[in-house]
Amino acid sequence: MIELKNVSKSYHGKQALKEVSLCLPRGEIVGLFGENGAGKTTFMKCLLSFLPYEGEILLDGEKITRKNITKLSFATSEHSFFPQLTAAAHKDFYQMHFPNFSEKRFDGLMEFFSLPQNKLLAGFSMGQKNQFEVILALCQGADYVLMDEPFAGNDIFNREDFYKVLTGILEPGETVILSTHLLEEVQNFISRAVLIHHGSIVGDVSMNELEENGKNLMGFVKETYHYRADRVSKALSDLTGDEEREEF
Amino acid sequence: MKIDWERYVPPGINHKKEREWIIAGLVISLICSMGFLLSYIENYRALFWELDGEKGIIKGALMPDFVGLLNSRLYGFPVLALCMVAVFLYHYLYHYQGSKSIYLMKRLPDRFELWRRCLTLPLAAALLSMVIAAALMLLYFGIYMYFTPDVCLTPNQWEKTGSVLLGVAL
Repeated sequence: MIELKNVSKSYHGKQALKEVSLCLPRGEIVGLFGENGAGKTTFMKCLLSFLPYEGEILLDGEKITRKNITKLSFATSEHSFFPQLTAAAHKDFYQMHFPNFSEKRFDGLMEFFSLPQNKLLAGFSMGQKNQFEVILALCQGADYVLMDEPFAGNDIFNREDFYKVLTGILEPGETVILSTHLLEEVQNFISRAVLIHHGSIVGDVSMNELEENGKNLMGFVKETYHYRADRVSKALSDLTGDEEREEF
Repeated sequence: MKIDWERYVPPGINHKKEREWIIAGLVISLICSMGFLLSYIENYRALFWELDGEKGIIKGALMPDFVGLLNSRLYGFPVLALCMVAVFLYHYLYHYQGSKSIYLMKRLPDRFELWRRCLTLPLAAALLSMVIAAALMLLYFGIYMYFTPDVCLTPNQWEKTGSVLLGVAL
């Protein structure tokens, strides 16, 4: 279980996370949603100890150190692989450093996505790079897989394939925390949705709960964010002056 | 003993090219340092008179101080060592080029892996450079003391050299 207790983080006086408290048990696929700059990436970077923060983060009851960091893996749209290495060389590197690295899963996913083993990552297309980034995160042998906008730049077919593969290969104890804007795409495959707004958790709901209440994820998000449905039509009429024209 | 340099540089970096550049730097520094020998030979010849095949030491002739002859001829080595700071920075910043592989390096269970890969080659090159500089200085000092006639030597050569080196270092 990942536990965040009153975690705060500020950049140059501006608060990116405000006293975030959250429990993420094993075996869940958690969607992390929020507008750009809401604090999703900061949340993940604090979890990974890339950034100093106030508060406490526990991983299976212990502070996150180099001893237990291998329980976490990370896939980011910024990519964390080495562009000047081949996929095969990455496999060697991961095997050297991560004792639970799953070679079988790696080879299977590489084959499924038809990614070349002996081509430099720099020569991969953006879609292939994203796929490879996620493959590495899934094969590291981590209990908690953190994904930050992993499919930015992938086409819809590609993403759909990935959701199916992901749900198919995950072990019961594996947890995925997925930060994305693609709400409607992931709503059928996540088990829980966490909403961040201006650095605070403003919504936390299980998909079962939503279903029981006859709501969908988009509705929940709009409700939580107090989305004004008339916003677009009002802006358009302001811009085009339709109302005035109607009066004449 | 063969060193697997791939394990001591950031993954994917062209360590062969880097080593070639370092060796080139060492060779250039070595060639520059040989200016000492040319200068020494020139000053050594100036100690003697030669007439009709006869040769002798000019009365009162003195060999310039070792440290004066050495001048800046070994500077190539410390300059090369200083350049290794840039190589270290390049190694570190390499993890931000084309991706953020720094995220992966910071997640490795071995906390020293990133530093080992960023530091080993430049540190080894800097140390090697300084060791070669020290060895050459001793060699040139030996040549200076061995071949210079005693009457042409001014006293306290080693001390003078030491004080100059210390002055530069300080």
